[in-house]
Amino acid sequence: MSRQRSMEKILASEFVSIGELVRLSGCRYSTLKFYTEEGMLPFKQEQENLTRRFPREEALLKIKEVQDLKKQGLSIPEIKERLVKK
Amino acid sequence: MKELSFAQNFSMIALNAQDSLHLTNAKKVSLRCMAGATILELYLDNGFTREGDILTFKRENLEFPSITMYQETVLKALIGKIETISETLPDYLTKVTKLSKKILKEVEHSFAVSLLGANALEEIPALIGCDLEYVTADISMKEYRSNPELYIRLTESLRAEILEDGPMTDETILMLWLLRESGCLYDLFSREELKRVAARIYELLDNSSLAKRILPINIHKSFETAVKNFLKIKKEVMSTPSGSGINFIFPVIERSQSIFIDTEEFFSKKEDRLRDVKARLESKGHVFTVIREGEVPLIKIDNVLYEAVPSAKQYRIPVHGVRLRKYPLSL
Repeated sequence: MSRQRSMEKILASEFVSIGELVRLSGCRYSTLKFYTEEGMLPFKQEQENLTRRFPREEALLKIKEVQDLKKQGLSIPEIKERLVKK
Repeated sequence: MKELSFAQNFSMIALNAQDSLHLTNAKKVSLRCMAGATILELYLDNGFTREGDILTFKRENLEFPSITMYQETVLKALIGKIETISETLPDYLTKVTKLSKKILKEVEHSFAVSLLGANALEEIPALIGCDLEYVTADISMKEYRSNPELYIRLTESLRAEILEDGPMTDETILMLWLLRESGCLYDLFSREELKRVAARIYELLDNSSLAKRILPINIHKSFETAVKNFLKIKKEVMSTPSGSGINFIFPVIERSQSIFIDTEEFFSKKEDRLRDVKARLESKGHVFTVIREGEVPLIKIDNVLYEAVPSAKQYRIPVHGVRLRKYPLSL
């Protein structure tokens, strides 16, 4: 049996799944999937079952950064460019 | 905010946008599954005494402080007058199909109280309650609305776990089954995504012992599910630009989107019409803003845009007023 982790445990762990990242950030799954596929979110992929694990703190900071840039009116290609330059 | 339990999480999805005052067919489906969710929650939290596949629950266990109000309601209904109940998990789950209307109402009340207390659910007035026929018949209409932020966090994390590769947690497997049985799967996944969900269900049947035990169980009643799906499709079709036009001409097709508000006078002026509409919306507790005034004013009611088109209804004496039509931009 594999049980769902409580919010307390998620907040204490270094890596989280995309579902847990959705719970933490309140962003839609499709949005985070898009960011991941566009290379805007860092992740590690385990060889065996191909599950993506996201570094919690770094990923949440990146999501906030992307959202702030979007609020400033930047397009996704422009945001990607900004993130690459950093 | 305190984390919600498994059954409360499912109830947030199942009760969202349901009529809160009447026991509709769609709500009966949801309430049965909410009772099922309560049993699964106890199963996950080891609330039953296990001997092989047999799960036992004693009446005296109802006194435990960990037993919540909604768990007590469901368990009391299952135990009945006996002292101890011993069944397999599938047998417990199929028992919920036999719950009476009275018990279902009690289940709804106990869940609604716990969710309202946690600010996860609210009761809002339904727009159809402003319609002339509902007002004169003194029929009050209210709906449940889940906390939008919590609802998105919950449903999107479920979508992520179900659609992504990799193992699923027990909670998600059971939630997937509940969503399937309650017909809510169609609210959360698009037609394309449902193909992926079906593939994931087949994967689970091969790899997960819990899924093998749970997924083959059916607690839905085909007639009620068919009614629920038909009503959902009808509402969706009538929400398209052409559908809303058809519905404006034939209001009977989708009554919830054909609200007629009567005015005090015959051939009233545009200002008087708007005044009467505002008064009716105010009296029923709706949040609204007038975006544009004029012959056909544009009003934002509960975050949806409507045009108030002058109209008349033919009774013994004709009644003048306005009919609300969803504005194409809000479709």
